[in-house]
Amino acid sequence: MLVLRRRAGESVLIGDEIEIELLAITQQGAKIGIRAPKETVVLRKELKITQEQNTRAAQGGSVKDLEQAIKKTAGLNSRIDSSPR
Amino acid sequence: MLAVETKYFGTLSLAEESVFHFPQGLPAFEEEKSFVLIEAPKLTEAPKEDAPLVFLQSATRSSLCFAAFPIQAVDKGYQLAIAAEDLEDLGLDVERQPDLYTEVMVLALVSLNDKLLATANLMAPIVLNLKTRCGLQAIRRDSRYSHQHPVAPGVARENTAEGAC
Repeated sequence: MLVLRRRAGESVLIGDEIEIELLAITQQGAKIGIRAPKETVVLRKELKITQEQNTRAAQGGSVKDLEQAIKKTAGLNSRIDSSPR
Repeated sequence: MLAVETKYFGTLSLAEESVFHFPQGLPAFEEEKSFVLIEAPKLTEAPKEDAPLVFLQSATRSSLCFAAFPIQAVDKGYQLAIAAEDLEDLGLDVERQPDLYTEVMVLALVSLNDKLLATANLMAPIVLNLKTRCGLQAIRRDSRYSHQHPVAPGVARENTAEGAC
């Protein structure tokens, strides 16, 4: 991963058409501005992950399959609760 | 009463009040604005204590149904960190996290990973406001919990302590 140090107000260019500007840095985090062509999809990464995960979750087969997978993966509640750690 | 065609349980007749409204839909399913919560372990074979599985069924699209666990069933010590904007959208106090039992129900959606093991999404739980019947998927801003948390004892413990993925 390319790592750059930028101060507030400074920018980074990606290719000819995408500009990322560091607008401000606060206690809560860094505020960035993104200038990109309309057709470029800009998404928070966790939103993309959530979309993918939801799509996967919606693909569930039968309840039986699901329960078998859960059983296979773990005993959940009671066993977690009584786990020595 | 409201007749809801479900993916797994045929047509269920439910009270209008049992519908939860999702004004923003869910990521990847933005057009789905209303869901019903099916808490009927007796419909399935698993004993209730072992797998308190619940189902979030789209009220308008029968083929869309998510399986989920109450988040505390996956991780007893789960710490909520709902962002202020999400609290506001839910109509909750933005100054504090809501009470898990009296104010909100929080669900972790279940999916099967590539190895066909069950995982729960602890990074982006579904939060339901029990009073207003309004819901949304509250994506955490931190990386404390995994979006593919294995539903397993021991493993589950270790992952939540350090925050894997």
